[in-house]
Amino acid sequence: MAISNDKEFKAALAALPAARQRQVAARFVERVYPLSNDVRIKAALDLASRADISDAELTVVAQAANTARVESFTQCGRETDWNAQAGHFVAKAAVACVKPAEAGDNLAWDAAMQARMARTCQTVAEGSGTENREAEEQYRILEAFLNS
Amino acid sequence: MNELQFLTWVRGPGLDIAVGIFLLGVLWRLFEIYSLGRKKDLSAPRSTSGASGLHTVFRRSIPPPGMLKRSPVSYIGGYIFHIGLFVVVFLFAPHILLIKNLTGLSWPGLPSQFIDLAAVVTMAAMVVVLVDRINKPVKRFLSTFEDWFTWAVTFLPVLTGWLAVQHLLLPYTLMLALHILSVQILLVVLPFTKLFHAFTLFGSRWYNGKVNGHKGVPV
Amino acid sequence: MSATLEKGVRVLKEVIDAPIASYFNSCVHCGLCAEACLFYTETGDPKYTPIHKLEPLRRVYEQEYTLLGRLKKMVGLSKAVTDEELDSWQELVYNSCTLCGRCSAVCPVGNDIVYMVRKFREGMSASGHAPEGIKGAVNRTITIGSPMGVKLPAVQAQMKHVEEDYGLPIPLDAEGAEYMVMLSSMEIINFPEYLGAIAKIMNQAGKTWTLCSTAFEATNAGMQIGNSDLARVLVARIVEGAEKLKVKTVISPECGHAYTALRWEGANLIGRPFSFEVKHIIEVLGEFQEQGLLKTEGFETDKLTFHDPCQLARRGGVIKQQRNLMNQVAKNFVEMPDAGYMNWCCGGGGGASAIEEGEELRIEAFKKKKSQLDAVKPDRLVTACANCRIVLEEGLEHYQMDIPVIGLTEMIAEHIPDKGA
Repeated sequence: MAISNDKEFKAALAALPAARQRQVAARFVERVYPLSNDVRIKAALDLASRADISDAELTVVAQAANTARVESFTQCGRETDWNAQAGHFVAKAAVACVKPAEAGDNLAWDAAMQARMARTCQTVAEGSGTENREAEEQYRILEAFLNS
Repeated sequence: MNELQFLTWVRGPGLDIAVGIFLLGVLWRLFEIYSLGRKKDLSAPRSTSGASGLHTVFRRSIPPPGMLKRSPVSYIGGYIFHIGLFVVVFLFAPHILLIKNLTGLSWPGLPSQFIDLAAVVTMAAMVVVLVDRINKPVKRFLSTFEDWFTWAVTFLPVLTGWLAVQHLLLPYTLMLALHILSVQILLVVLPFTKLFHAFTLFGSRWYNGKVNGHKGVPV
Repeated sequence: MSATLEKGVRVLKEVIDAPIASYFNSCVHCGLCAEACLFYTETGDPKYTPIHKLEPLRRVYEQEYTLLGRLKKMVGLSKAVTDEELDSWQELVYNSCTLCGRCSAVCPVGNDIVYMVRKFREGMSASGHAPEGIKGAVNRTITIGSPMGVKLPAVQAQMKHVEEDYGLPIPLDAEGAEYMVMLSSMEIINFPEYLGAIAKIMNQAGKTWTLCSTAFEATNAGMQIGNSDLARVLVARIVEGAEKLKVKTVISPECGHAYTALRWEGANLIGRPFSFEVKHIIEVLGEFQEQGLLKTEGFETDKLTFHDPCQLARRGGVIKQQRNLMNQVAKNFVEMPDAGYMNWCCGGGGGASAIEEGEELRIEAFKKKKSQLDAVKPDRLVTACANCRIVLEEGLEHYQMDIPVIGLTEMIAEHIPDKGA
């Protein structure tokens, strides 16, 4: 199946069960992981990629990823470091991968959005504006995931 | 100078000087403070009933939520001695007579046993707030010579007055003269110390209430 | 623009007015202001007593504006304010004060202590004694135009993100729109969900709105640091943008001090009344709710409580609206003790959270917020200020309290059905 816009992308993700959502979400976030390099996030992504995960394991990595997220806020009044801020959104995306799933949640979509935000922070930091091809890359990842 | 001459002096020239300094001092200080003025607030006001300078002048006498239990002595002790002072100063027959001689105004007083009790309660409350000022870290930290001095200058009139009426400690004439002298010291010192809050608290509460009323918050 | 002690003292003399004089003369050293201040109650250290923060200003007042004080100075009996003194006062005036205003709410003689601290900061800033953390904000505003270095591309990034996520367009520079929406730097940087929520709400209410490319930022570091010139520059930009786009109302975002700066100080900073209204987003949502323009579905069922941002409630007069909004989408909304007007500060507003050296103190002061939450034991905490959110999350993280924090506007928007869904 070919995905060419966000409507299709979002719908395809929503149709997946939670465990599969986590796996594809982890792949989205892995693309932007170099913007963070926080080991807690790596741990969260590694866990989300596995097919067999227990709730207990999820809780542990979710807590660590959340701490990474809280620690990376930019404080009011300080100078914004857009590269660092990218890391914050990577953490946010990772949290989306491993948080407890409730009915109606589209955690893979949330993770994808936060990952795109991370990429945008990077391009803003580089001064090359807000245009990037992260969305298209995510469509390709999902297509490959569904076909595998 | 014997006791009688002393008493005559404090009742006469002493009183004139003290009241004179007091009145001029009060007027001068009020001018000195409020003539500084303030800028008009150009932001659009909210209209809220029950929130204004005048409201706060009265409402601020009530402890705000949660504060009474944080410092009961400040509120309860404070209320008792302020009300006690008012009762002793303004509802005691000899004082009312003095005011009548000075201004022509008079009103009924309370029975002297009641005043006696009020004086004792006032002094007790003042001692309690003094001890609190010594014991509590914040009060101790903030206190300067002026705080101890003004306490003494407020306490002595009540003490000497009570001693005079009770005919204790010293012969009546001398005790009375000391009482009047202590009042005169209080009058002279009042406009130039924190005791002036007796006049400025109205302005302060009013400004505070006005600013917050502008934002629609009753304080 | 060099900062000197001379300059600082001159500024202090200039800011003293009748209210300040009245306040200094009314103070009876009762210490009740300390009992209302979380920096004192959680540390027990009397140096954090609010009125004590003003001691240098009091001496300037005495020596400059009272007869006795001037006489004392003439005969050499008074202590002049020194650089060292102002340096040691920095912690008292910045790290341990968020301009929350609780002190002003309790002073029995009516002293508006927070007003005095705000003025005192002008002198501190002019004498070079503002904390490094926010000093940079002054330079960035001058050189980049934004206290936190946020420029239009960052806003456009958010706009793009939101348009993708929510499928709603974000208008930019739409002349004649009814509302001009401001964002705080914190939202632009940390909480893109806020803009999305606005888009959804406005869309449903059928109101016209816009961002302004030259005035999207509400954060006013000038107000935090105590630099009125800077505060004026930031406000003037907003006024220019609002007048150029001919909007009726400027919406101040979920940020406490931005609201105070624009709504209450703004007109006084530029020297004339505004030709438009200024409302906090919560006020606007409150109005929409009253007018029946906020149609939500469903309810949150977990136990929620609300943290009133100081600048919104106590200092801003917006107290009822957030409660009405909570009740529209929450079945189990429980108030914490001292909620509303007397709420305790999160401990990080007014620029405090940008001061690294103050972090330990803030964590300690957070025990007060912790005690409020312990009394309620909510599942989640709702608030309406982006900085409070972060400070709360950090505090909760430190004390290992598992209570997610969400923004009220966001929560309301979540209950608005998706367009065409």
